[in-house]
Amino acid sequence: MMGLYAIQLECLVATWGIVLLLVDAFTPIPNKRLVGYLAAGFVAVALLYSFAIQPIDEPFFHGMFRLDPFALYFKRLFLLALAVVLLMAAEFSPRLESGVVEFYALLMFCAVGMLLIASVNDFILLFVSLELVTITFYVLASYLRRQLPSLEAGTKYLILGALSSGFTVYGIAYIFGTTGTTNFTTLNAQLSASNVQPTAAFTFGMLLVLTGLGFKIASVPFQVWAPDVYQGAPTPVTAFLAVGSKAAGFALLLRVLYAGLLPVSMVWNALIAVLAGATLLYGNLGAIPQRNIKRLMGYSSIGHAGYMLMGVAAVNALGAGAVLFYLGQYAFTNLCAFLAIVAVTAATGSDEIPSFSGLGKRSPILGLALFLSMMSLAGIPPLSGFFGKFQLFAAVVQRAQTDRFYYVLAAIGAAAVVISLYFYLGVGRAIYLQEAEDASPIAISKPMRFGLYVCMAAMIGIGIFQRPLVHASIMAAKIFPLR
Amino acid sequence: MEALLTIAVLLPLIAAFVLFMFPSKNPKAIRALALFATGVSLLITLTLFASFDRTKSGYQFVHSIPWLPSYGCSLKFGVDGISMTLLLLVGFISFCGTLISSEIHDREKEYYILFLTLTTGISGTFATMDLFFFYFFYELAVIPMYLLIGMWGSLPPGKHGRTKEYATMKLTLYLTAGAVLALIGLLGIYFVGGTLDIERLQHNIWLARGTQMWAFPCLLFGFGFLASLWPFHTWSPLGYAAAPTAASMMHAGVLKKLGAYGIIRLALPLLPEGARHWANLLAILACFNILYAGWTALTQKDWKFVIGYSSVSHMGYVLLGIATLNVVGVTGAVLLMFAHGVMAALTFALIGFFYHQTHNRYVPDLSGLARKIPFIGVCMVMAVMASSGLPGFANFASEVLVFLGSWQQGTAVFRVATICAVWGIVVTATYMLRAVRTSFFGPFDEKWSMLKDAVTFRQKFPYALLLAALLTVGFCPRLLTDIIKQSVATSVVSRLSTSAETKAASTDTVYNTGATP
Repeated sequence: MMGLYAIQLECLVATWGIVLLLVDAFTPIPNKRLVGYLAAGFVAVALLYSFAIQPIDEPFFHGMFRLDPFALYFKRLFLLALAVVLLMAAEFSPRLESGVVEFYALLMFCAVGMLLIASVNDFILLFVSLELVTITFYVLASYLRRQLPSLEAGTKYLILGALSSGFTVYGIAYIFGTTGTTNFTTLNAQLSASNVQPTAAFTFGMLLVLTGLGFKIASVPFQVWAPDVYQGAPTPVTAFLAVGSKAAGFALLLRVLYAGLLPVSMVWNALIAVLAGATLLYGNLGAIPQRNIKRLMGYSSIGHAGYMLMGVAAVNALGAGAVLFYLGQYAFTNLCAFLAIVAVTAATGSDEIPSFSGLGKRSPILGLALFLSMMSLAGIPPLSGFFGKFQLFAAVVQRAQTDRFYYVLAAIGAAAVVISLYFYLGVGRAIYLQEAEDASPIAISKPMRFGLYVCMAAMIGIGIFQRPLVHASIMAAKIFPLR
Repeated sequence: MEALLTIAVLLPLIAAFVLFMFPSKNPKAIRALALFATGVSLLITLTLFASFDRTKSGYQFVHSIPWLPSYGCSLKFGVDGISMTLLLLVGFISFCGTLISSEIHDREKEYYILFLTLTTGISGTFATMDLFFFYFFYELAVIPMYLLIGMWGSLPPGKHGRTKEYATMKLTLYLTAGAVLALIGLLGIYFVGGTLDIERLQHNIWLARGTQMWAFPCLLFGFGFLASLWPFHTWSPLGYAAAPTAASMMHAGVLKKLGAYGIIRLALPLLPEGARHWANLLAILACFNILYAGWTALTQKDWKFVIGYSSVSHMGYVLLGIATLNVVGVTGAVLLMFAHGVMAALTFALIGFFYHQTHNRYVPDLSGLARKIPFIGVCMVMAVMASSGLPGFANFASEVLVFLGSWQQGTAVFRVATICAVWGIVVTATYMLRAVRTSFFGPFDEKWSMLKDAVTFRQKFPYALLLAALLTVGFCPRLLTDIIKQSVATSVVSRLSTSAETKAASTDTVYNTGATP
């Protein structure tokens, strides 16, 4: 019975996904949009309900599954992302030729995988839930099956994703082979007890697992798929990749590194720091020449993976909390941006940045939403991204007190902030400084407007009153034995 | 009484938020709200100034709201003589800027939201006593400027070959680069010192020498970007030239002073050993500011570029005053920040007045304007006299203090720097008098016969208010120097003259060697 309590959210979302498929059979085509709103509303209720669930110290299912504050933090994050992405999908549904409700259902199944990921405490469950997420994304990315870019996105994601899954499972085999366990808690105990340098085979396995996770979070050198897939995939899927899949990757990375591999942090620590620097530079420099906003968001998401890796590399309590806070606010910021992008592309039919010209006059709310989210991504107060970056820099500088090498990472991060401001302001310039060729106003639906208001209020609210989210993220990060 | 300062600082931001939430298309109501917010916060600032206890040297009107316990961070406001002076400056200029913004007739709502946010960003930085909020407000002031220049600015084509979009992007990137550089230094101070409270850092914590050595250049150059320290000044004249009138006033008048204030408030007292080590370099760079920017101003033909380079040149005096590290010099620097702030705002407001009608501010094209707009002409002549440091204006007193402080410092570097700085006055007088002679006097050009002067009280008021501030302080500099001197002596310079060993013996916690909190 307790096991069922632990996975109730997963069961709830999975059941609702199946019910949706049944409902589909009885829904006339014009009503399919409404089904999307209903699904989003249901997930929003599930999100509220999740606050009634209490964390439990003991692991479930033979130590595979945890329902600790960390897991709950991420589950809420995924439900939030799912609710807004479903809303976006409902807005987007006229552009899907067929299988509208299947689209919603696939998003929900994908989210089930993410909800499982939040609780992973074992390499086997890690692999299974990761595959559930990745395989649904193969389908979702190529959902616009008559459009070449979408097919290209799906194929690229499939090939690279399959390859990285292969690496992951191969690495898990090595770790199991050298230590005899796949459970993070046991692994941690073994590594800290043995007190010797890990064997080469173990290190090899660890690196292979990190390869798989690096693919999920789009860090250098496994980042090449991101811009193409972000550009080609249907926009709600892009949003879900940017918010959900990225957060899932970081949830796994934190679990694996901090819960499982913390005793051997000297092996992976410098590697993560170097990858963070490289990812920061690649993502932000690569974004400068982009003219397509979804492609820009792809590069931007690489850059943000770099910022968060800074926090992971710091290996201190401040850094772990900072990454969680960053993911939380990043969800609102990115969802806000993608909501605006969906609404604008629905009206203009183009996602090139020049087609956003004069948006501030065509639709003040969309212009403001997109501008604020760009500024939050760039880290400008009083928006939430500012405090996220502040914490990450604080974590790195704290680490630099004992390890001077980290000042270099902080300096790279500082340079990245300036570079990123350039291209984010490029979007801002189109919105407010340039005149539109076609100045007709853009209409947006009520649910859309509601979603935009919620995201904007969250961005400004978290940016000014940081305390609740900081508190939640610190509580969630406390499960790791970090100082 | 305690909360008054907090209200004065946050009122413009609250007004901006109200404007943001309530959809009103009535420009008069929007303007009235903006005037109310800046006017009331000016009045509160004046009240605080009047009730400021001149015998005490520490922070007054301290008001603290706990904010983030996990970082030990609180929204804490309080002023000493230095920040009181500068808050007064923000009050005057933001109010006059709002008055002058009546020339804006496009997207008023967005304009006032940004302008009010900018105001709080600046006054918040001056008034806060917490390192986190210092940085928060500092950054808050940067982005509104991007949109203010980009949306309402204008940059006539010229030899520079730039657009206003280029100008505003350059400005934003330079300022952000400076800000993140300063952030790394500030975080270093936080982790070594173990607290975000500026007052505690100033009095109870003495940072390890190694930290001071690297953190000082981070802060100096980080804040130096905003203070237009040579060679990082190139964003500034271009930005002013492109900005709408009120934004240039705010920027040249107060925003730029944030950089110098950051150095005085944080870099000098928290990192005194670093300051002693880097002071000569700062003095040399300040001389470049004064002379290089002065000579560049000599070749400019656009009024706003003349004043823009002139303000870079004047920031050189402020930085030289800071570099002296003695009471006289730093007091002079703070007073000059006030004097130059008012003067620069006044000049930009006057340029805005005639540019709004002529759509031309190219000095050789203008001629004999004083005949048609005598009031503006008189104000301009007075502003130019103030700028050249004539007695009777606040600038005179402050520049003299800077020279005295710099000479008193005694080393060869500072002796040479003083001579350069005095020579800079001659350069200033040359370009300023030449510009005003060409465009306001001489034969009257008939094409300007459509110009209208400021006639009503409402039109004249902002200029008169700024001039009154300049003259009052000019004739009675002790109004400000008394309180500035006391704060400079106790909270800035006292730390500079003690060495690490005596400090370690005299304060309580103190010799913090670099352990994390």
